Amino acid sequence: MSLNTDFMVKVAQTAIQGVPVTLQIVLVALLISLPVGCLFALIRIYRVKGLEQIVKLYVSFVRGTPIIAQILIVYSAFPSLLNMIIGKAAFSINPIYYAYIVFTLNSIATLTEVFRSALQTVDKGQMEAGLMVGMQPRQTFWRIILPQALISALPNITNATLYLIKNSSLAFIMSVKDITAIAKTEAAFNYNFLEAYLVVWIYYLIICYSAEVIFYLLERYFSKFRRSTKKTNLFNWRPLSIKQPEVRAEADLTESERTNHAQNRGLKKRL
Amino acid sequence: MLKIEGLKKGYDGNEILKGISLDVNKGDVISIIGPSGSGKTTLLRNITTLEQADGGHIQFAGVDNDFQKLNSKDIQTIRRNVGFVFQNYNLFNNKTALQNITEGLIVARKVKKREAEKIALEALERVGLSDRRNHYPSQLSGGQQQRVGIARAVALNPQVIFFDEPTSALDPELVGEVLKVMRNLADEGTTMVVVTHQMNFARNVSNKVIFMADGYIVEQGSPEDIFEHPSEKRTQEFLTDILANV
Amino acid sequence: MENIKLIINFLGQLLPAINITLIVSVSSIVLGSLLGLGLAAAKQSQSIILRVLSSIYVSVIRATPSIIMIFVVYYGMPLLFSGWLHINIEGWNRMYFVIIALTLLFSAPVSEIMRSAYESISKGQMEAGLMVGMTPFQTFYRILLPQAFVVALPNFANSAINLLKEGALTFTIGVVDMVAKAQMIVANNSGGYAWQTYCALALIYWVISLAIDKGVTLVEKSYQAKRKTIAA
Repeated sequence: MSLNTDFMVKVAQTAIQGVPVTLQIVLVALLISLPVGCLFALIRIYRVKGLEQIVKLYVSFVRGTPIIAQILIVYSAFPSLLNMIIGKAAFSINPIYYAYIVFTLNSIATLTEVFRSALQTVDKGQMEAGLMVGMQPRQTFWRIILPQALISALPNITNATLYLIKNSSLAFIMSVKDITAIAKTEAAFNYNFLEAYLVVWIYYLIICYSAEVIFYLLERYFSKFRRSTKKTNLFNWRPLSIKQPEVRAEADLTESERTNHAQNRGLKKRL
Repeated sequence: MLKIEGLKKGYDGNEILKGISLDVNKGDVISIIGPSGSGKTTLLRNITTLEQADGGHIQFAGVDNDFQKLNSKDIQTIRRNVGFVFQNYNLFNNKTALQNITEGLIVARKVKKREAEKIALEALERVGLSDRRNHYPSQLSGGQQQRVGIARAVALNPQVIFFDEPTSALDPELVGEVLKVMRNLADEGTTMVVVTHQMNFARNVSNKVIFMADGYIVEQGSPEDIFEHPSEKRTQEFLTDILANV
Repeated sequence: MENIKLIINFLGQLLPAINITLIVSVSSIVLGSLLGLGLAAAKQSQSIILRVLSSIYVSVIRATPSIIMIFVVYYGMPLLFSGWLHINIEGWNRMYFVIIALTLLFSAPVSEIMRSAYESISKGQMEAGLMVGMTPFQTFYRILLPQAFVVALPNFANSAINLLKEGALTFTIGVVDMVAKAQMIVANNSGGYAWQTYCALALIYWVISLAIDKGVTLVEKSYQAKRKTIAA
């Protein structure tokens, strides 16, 4: 078995034009879905009547169905929707807008869950302490609760971003000219598909690792108030020591809660 | 100065507080003692409006109203005139020791930043932690965190400071430093209401001791009354138990 | 109303293809769990080479889009096999390639889930087991494993749902699964009723995901009930 390395170099040169397209999709989706996801999380936490159920259903649907099904639905439903609303012919729309829509809608659902669990990790006592120094609930939320929640959400935001980057590789299905689409076209001439996809793979590895490094630096910068965490070396450096996304540790929490109380009780007795 | 009458609170039909009345005068140091589950912590949380009481009346800082009828302005008035020291410190994790103290001054009291920092530094000095002003809570020991918590309450210069079991979460060897700070505050004439299991503090520092059990105030009086000649059987039993275990 | 009728009609046409989806998912979950177990063991092992290799593997998989993994396996494996082993596997059922790709993808998160579940059990449990005279294997099997299972279950189910969704890419290499079937239906209707067809497709996946979620919640509840009665 031998790989056509000349061809790989050629694909690498042409497919790099798709990198900005992929990055564009990821950035647009992230910038919109971060605030919206945060808002949706708040709707769920504060049980806003009416909206809560809608958000719940939305998140459940998006998380319970394949991204490919979502792509196909948006790609087939939006042209007629747009036609109805603005009467503009659908084929005149740059397909990248469909990609923006699909991946934003998808990320919103993921990030809603991320923010929801992050907001829940902030201790109730933080709000009480804010009230007891005379701050309003809203002031306490913006100044104390939200900053802490954002930082504890960072690892899961990283995961959500990686998930988004990887999913964006399906944009070619909507005929967006991204990395995969370009490589695919190149490969079709001589059936050098393996070489083409290996190149695409490498590009995605580079993009994902860069994203991880950026988020790692962000995390290190912002979590200076958690200085007691252990030092970083080659082996526990994030890209080499993957944390599992979305650890649903509710059972654990109640457990530690209980042991905490048990300890308190023991202490009380002793005193 | 602070007058509570007939305070009631229950959860799911379980009455925790069955009509508590309490008078706090300026300069009082009141210790509330009693077995676990007697409603001591709940009492503090209801007076300070962290929880909404089911019934009772409060007279404090110009507010004169039933607990159930408190509007948001009353609640804000009450909160701005009390200080609270939590069992688990509850320092703002994303703020340094100094910022923990300035936060309330700047945001709630609208004090200028410069001025707030000056007040905060003084408060830190009083609890002996001015060298830790730029440390985050995670970099402080439990005892140090609680001292910052006390400084945070003191800096706001409230009419009365409530302490909710301030030493219960601490390792035994760290209890002393916190008690010392509290004793200094008492000596300086700070009005304090302290829920505690530290019988030495209750006996030697406070001027009034309240013994609570099962949601009632069983007995109250001077430390001598309560510790030397308790008149109620419940009080005697409690004190015998707890002193035997020290 | 009209649309709902259409969607129900399409559901009927899509459902027969569900067995491909189920075969692909179930076999990848089984094989991926086994590989994941091996990886988790490698991460715990004494050998630094094994530890580093398994770490690199997991981190590479984490950064690999599933579609690329499927394509690389599909185009790469036949070349590998004919070049090194002189075996021609071009004629294999294409489903096998998807299963292999998904197995590789699934093993990485599963190994992490297993490792963190194992680490979440306190060391005292093993020591206590040994001290009452059980062998290390007995303690592992009777004490540690059941506890780790409860911890791992929610995350495992989450990954399984992800795998189910990634399996929807099977159609990209020409296997006629539900997605391919849906596209055929749309093509037969000359592009008409497209979104209704795809909604029917999404509904099927949604129901399976919800069923997995529900099942896990039930199992968790029964375990927690047990714990509570012991605690009380």
